[in-house]
Amino acid sequence: MKLTINNETYDVDADGDTPLLWVIRDNLGMTGTKYGCGLAQCGACSVMVDGVVTRSCVTPIDAVEGQEITTIEAIENDPVGKRVVEKWVEHQVPQCGYCQSGQVMAATALLKEIENPTEDDVEAAMVNLCRCGTYNAIHAAVKDLAEGGAS
Amino acid sequence: MKKLFLTVLGVVVVGAAGTAWIATHTPSSPFDNVTASAPSEDLIARGEYVARLGDCVACHTTPDGKAFAGGLEMGTPLGSIFTTNITPDPETGIGNYSLADFDRALRHGVAADGHRLYPAMPYPSYDKMTDGDIEALYAYFMEGVEPVSQANKPTEIEEPLNMRWPLALWNVVFTEGEVYQAKASEDGMWNRGAYLVQGPGHCGSCHTPRGPAMNEVALDESSPEYLSGALLDGWYAPSLRNDPNIGLGRWSEEDVYAYLKNGRNEHGVVFGSMVEAFNNSTQFMSDDDLMSIAHYLKSLPADPDYDGPVWAYDEATADDLSRDVADKVPGARTYAANCAFCHGRDGLGQNEWIPPLAGVSSMLAPEAESAINVTLNGSPRVIANGVPDSYRMPPYREHLSDAQMAEVLTYARSAWGNHGDAVSEEEVAALRSHTDPASIDVIILQMR
Amino acid sequence: MKNLKLSPSQQDQFPTGEPVNISRRRFLLGAAGATTGALVLGFGLPVGKARAQSGGEVTPGTRVPAFLEIRPDNTVRLQSPFVEGGQGVFTAMAQIVGEELDADPKSFVVESAPAGPDYLVINNQMRITGGSMSVRTSYDTMRKLGASARNMLLQAAAIRFDVPLAQLTTEPGYVVNSSTGQKVPFGDLAEDALDLPVPDSEGIKLRDPSTFRWIGKPVDRLDIHDKATGKAIFSIDCAVEGMVHAAVQHAPRLGLGVGNILNETDVSAMKGVMSIHRLPGAVAVVAERWWNAKVAAEALQVEWVKRDEDGSNIRHMPDDFSTVAFSDHLANQTGNGKAGEEEGDVGSAISNAATTVEATYRSQFVHHGQLEPPSALARFNDDGTLDVWMPNQAPEQFQSQIAGMTGLEASQINVHSPMLGGFFGRHFLYPEANPYPQAVQLAKEVGRPVKLIWSREEEFLRDPLRPMAVVKFRGGLDADGMPVGLEAISATEGPTEGIYGHNPDSIDPLALEGLTGKKYAIANRRIAQIYVKTPAMLAYWRSVGHSMNDFFYETFFDELADQGGHDPYELRMQLLQSDERLSNLLRAVGDLSGGWKRGPFTAEDGSQRARGVGMASPFGSESAAIAEVSMQNGDVVVHDVWEAIDPGSIVNPAIIEAQVKSAVALGVSQILMEEAIYENGEPTARNYDLYPILRPDQMPNVHVRIVESGAKMGGIGEPGLPPVLPAIANAVSTLTGQRVRSMPLSNLRFES
Ligand code: FES
Ligand code: FES
Repeated sequence: MKLTINNETYDVDADGDTPLLWVIRDNLGMTGTKYGCGLAQCGACSVMVDGVVTRSCVTPIDAVEGQEITTIEAIENDPVGKRVVEKWVEHQVPQCGYCQSGQVMAATALLKEIENPTEDDVEAAMVNLCRCGTYNAIHAAVKDLAEGGAS
Repeated sequence: MKKLFLTVLGVVVVGAAGTAWIATHTPSSPFDNVTASAPSEDLIARGEYVARLGDCVACHTTPDGKAFAGGLEMGTPLGSIFTTNITPDPETGIGNYSLADFDRALRHGVAADGHRLYPAMPYPSYDKMTDGDIEALYAYFMEGVEPVSQANKPTEIEEPLNMRWPLALWNVVFTEGEVYQAKASEDGMWNRGAYLVQGPGHCGSCHTPRGPAMNEVALDESSPEYLSGALLDGWYAPSLRNDPNIGLGRWSEEDVYAYLKNGRNEHGVVFGSMVEAFNNSTQFMSDDDLMSIAHYLKSLPADPDYDGPVWAYDEATADDLSRDVADKVPGARTYAANCAFCHGRDGLGQNEWIPPLAGVSSMLAPEAESAINVTLNGSPRVIANGVPDSYRMPPYREHLSDAQMAEVLTYARSAWGNHGDAVSEEEVAALRSHTDPASIDVIILQMR
Repeated sequence: MKNLKLSPSQQDQFPTGEPVNISRRRFLLGAAGATTGALVLGFGLPVGKARAQSGGEVTPGTRVPAFLEIRPDNTVRLQSPFVEGGQGVFTAMAQIVGEELDADPKSFVVESAPAGPDYLVINNQMRITGGSMSVRTSYDTMRKLGASARNMLLQAAAIRFDVPLAQLTTEPGYVVNSSTGQKVPFGDLAEDALDLPVPDSEGIKLRDPSTFRWIGKPVDRLDIHDKATGKAIFSIDCAVEGMVHAAVQHAPRLGLGVGNILNETDVSAMKGVMSIHRLPGAVAVVAERWWNAKVAAEALQVEWVKRDEDGSNIRHMPDDFSTVAFSDHLANQTGNGKAGEEEGDVGSAISNAATTVEATYRSQFVHHGQLEPPSALARFNDDGTLDVWMPNQAPEQFQSQIAGMTGLEASQINVHSPMLGGFFGRHFLYPEANPYPQAVQLAKEVGRPVKLIWSREEEFLRDPLRPMAVVKFRGGLDADGMPVGLEAISATEGPTEGIYGHNPDSIDPLALEGLTGKKYAIANRRIAQIYVKTPAMLAYWRSVGHSMNDFFYETFFDELADQGGHDPYELRMQLLQSDERLSNLLRAVGDLSGGWKRGPFTAEDGSQRARGVGMASPFGSESAAIAEVSMQNGDVVVHDVWEAIDPGSIVNPAIIEAQVKSAVALGVSQILMEEAIYENGEPTARNYDLYPILRPDQMPNVHVRIVESGAKMGGIGEPGLPPVLPAIANAVSTLTGQRVRSMPLSNLRFES
């Protein structure tokens, strides 16, 4: 099976129903994408597939063959992603950091889809869990990005 | 299938006077006076296969109990009953059953001591089974199953509703009492399929509507109501006829085969009560038998008057989920945050691994129970060939209020060309109060 | 196109237990990806360990080379005695050491120190990351360490340039010759300096706090960029050459062991499966990939049998255990219990009181729910040593436990403590609740390094729980409605006695903290415990006893205030008037919220709202919170939380603010929705589906004020949580007119 991740094409030896998350982490050794629940509940495993935020723990690889997958490892190659990371640093968002790859992905995907999202858009899109409770900081960072435009 | 039926009791109890003869009469069996000879290995193996066809294990084994030792609780509005030990243990099981006793229990609902079985035991279907299958099944249960000494639990149904003799009456009225007769006008494949579906497979138990006495309103294809979809135990078992919306109209025979063989195809994944039927029964059926079933089911005509306009995918509605309008379509936002990661913004699911919501019977049927139930409670694990599913539907009862769930289901039942009715908060509340989340355990009921 | 499947020949280069020299000190970040070949620090022995360990008794926190490596590029590598798990301790350590060393915290690379006597810096005898103890217990030691290192650099420069010490000074990162103006980077001097004898830390001169440049300032955290870009390495991310993956299926209840495996042959044939193993209370599958291991482990059909008694302190979970019944069992306890705090004569005070108030309060079991599921990577090396990477809050304790289990010397066991993906008390030594014993056994059995990850479902099955309690309160009010007596009897088991065993002659102070230690001027008090053993495994949870006891006390306090006809905020103020620190704090939180107003009132959006207040004295700090709530469709919504915290003195206000917000989130989560339910001896929730935790849209706006009273430095990670729960409960009572006496609120039905 061929997967295109961060502009590289990989030949992966795994069954079609294997979750994209584990192929990224184990087969390809990119550990920035995290496992939290495996059940689409937390968002720690978020990646972008053709620019849309996708929970890789519930994404069978045969469903994303031929699509453009972006993981956190390449986030700063994306101009919007780079801005998001900058704001994350500026607002000192992460605590333990475990959920943050997913949070940054979700914010990037949102801003790529809607350049100046409203408060409602933000609330609808930023639904990943954070056990450390960095929600206020995430909100402030995304709000900042939404107002300033992401690019 | 497991928990139902027992309201039948209340219905049947009344007005049964003057029926003593029926109630106490022991039906005859072709095996009366026949002594079963020592069975061949072949016969035992065939019997094991028949036990798979009939899915005996699903009811007569508990997840952590011994095979066929019974004890599974079946909740009924009148109190619980417990399935019985059908291992060949002479004291607590059926070790002392003669072939004729066994036959009477299976095809007529009468135990060896003459008491009437509750029709949770699907003898109205099993009575169509051939003598040969009965013999094989008997051989399997006597020689192929380990005897387990485990006393049956008494039912918790209280007097006088626990009287069993009225069931004899029910029996006379609602069972056909005749082995399946092949239709000369149809080919062998069709007849084999019909036999499996009507007889051991007892598909009608769930998929055929029930009458006022909880009886299946039809037991074969002579009635258009046969397998036309039914509400049972909090689930809507869809039509197995050719209805394009609520039935198999858009499925090919191969699709039906794949569904029963693998538990999934591009149209859907088994869920709710069907998971048990798949896990314990259909996946073990031979390819020929599964193709026969598919062939037979695909011969059952649709009812366009009931099924309504044929569903067609409507891309436009997928746009509801693009973010700038998400909050303007009720339920769309909830869908985006909770459902879209698996089922897709386009409602098309992920290949055969995660089912679509676009165009599926649970989203199109007037009955929303299955949609509500699976959202509240998730679905049990689908285990194909010993391997648990990679993806399971989680319960959302702790995450979504009745109102939110009604809204998101109403949305899903109207997006992508779906035209199911709206779901009300009350419907969700009602199901929430008397259902429980599905177990996440990988349950494989062993037969040996 | 890259083909990333490791070929068999590549794998054969790293056979069983061989020392893997080049990779010993680095993480292999898999075989590819943007970070391929990245060298991540934090592995292997700290520089200078050999030197540090020569000689006799070690005074913890004194031997500079065990802690610091100053590199040629002038970066400073610091071995932190404390593990980073989001609380910002790496940054705080860099600030403290950097302040005295005279090096910008930005130039620090901080790692968790390995196990060893040098790092037992808590009261010079132990080391855990927990109890909000890190900074406050090591502050002086770490300052002295930085100052000693600076002194050594100065000496090295004096020798090298042959000038008197007095002529030298430092500026950040440099030694400066004050007469010539010549500057030498620390990195140039480090090699020489680290060979010098460490000066006696007692005599070392420390900086005047008024000249601090980094301590007390909102210095940026060092780990933020890595965490925002997925580069931070957690246990679950660790990898070594030749590693294989493992997954387990645990017995449904503690106390069961492995009987027959019915489908072992079938499962052995599943994709990627290498071997199947029997472990105490679990079965495991080792495979090339974790996903394959996990699917196979789940597929195993195990007949669980009663496990042999092994004399350990493992609890056996009965198959009829139910949390609902257990809560009632606690409530049905009678007697006065054993007092943990007693003042005056509460019995006669209450019987002579004008009014008496009685109420029973309940709490629930809760999960840690840290987002990183537990994992462990174990590797036996050819030289007889063992490396273990695992989330842990106490490296030495884990090390000695592994020594006991393997028969190795502690010195042969290298404990690595990567970043924690949240901890909240989860990663202490809990029998049967840590994956490392399984990983070690598996590595031994397969002869290769094994990384074991617990799926979320396995984690929720074995996560030890925050204790549950039922507290019976009695209070007495005088004719003016002022409290004259208060009695609280808690039926519960404390976490420490739960883990290490109950001593009938004493009480576990953690069972009662938060009921005890209250500073209100109530003349007659008695706080007692009735010990009731819990079948479930217990654990520390963020704020420990305070995580529920302040809820009980401070909510009952409002009942007393209402019965006595006093405003609860004013009554607190009155009863604290002789305590300046707490009166100030209460005033501060009132001010922060725009002035105390209880409500109910109509908010701008038309909703009916009310506010409540709560206070706590946890972990050496003082905290007070006000919460504003409304009801929407029968559910409680928390809009704002104002919290004032007084930790005495501070190191990093930005980190404190973030920690308070984090603690508030966990507190709100606990009181709104969290509850670990057991039925038939098994948890009903095995993932976040049936155990919801706070979502972003449920998070209140949190406003923090730090009050530096100058008192002895207190903790930070935990004190933010306890006052939030009663503040919310009291607000809800005011709004609905219905008393809140149990958590979570999602179980309650409100009329309004
Ligand atoms: S790990 Fe994928 S959503 Fe939690
Ligand atoms: S920062 Fe720890 S889970 Fe979000």
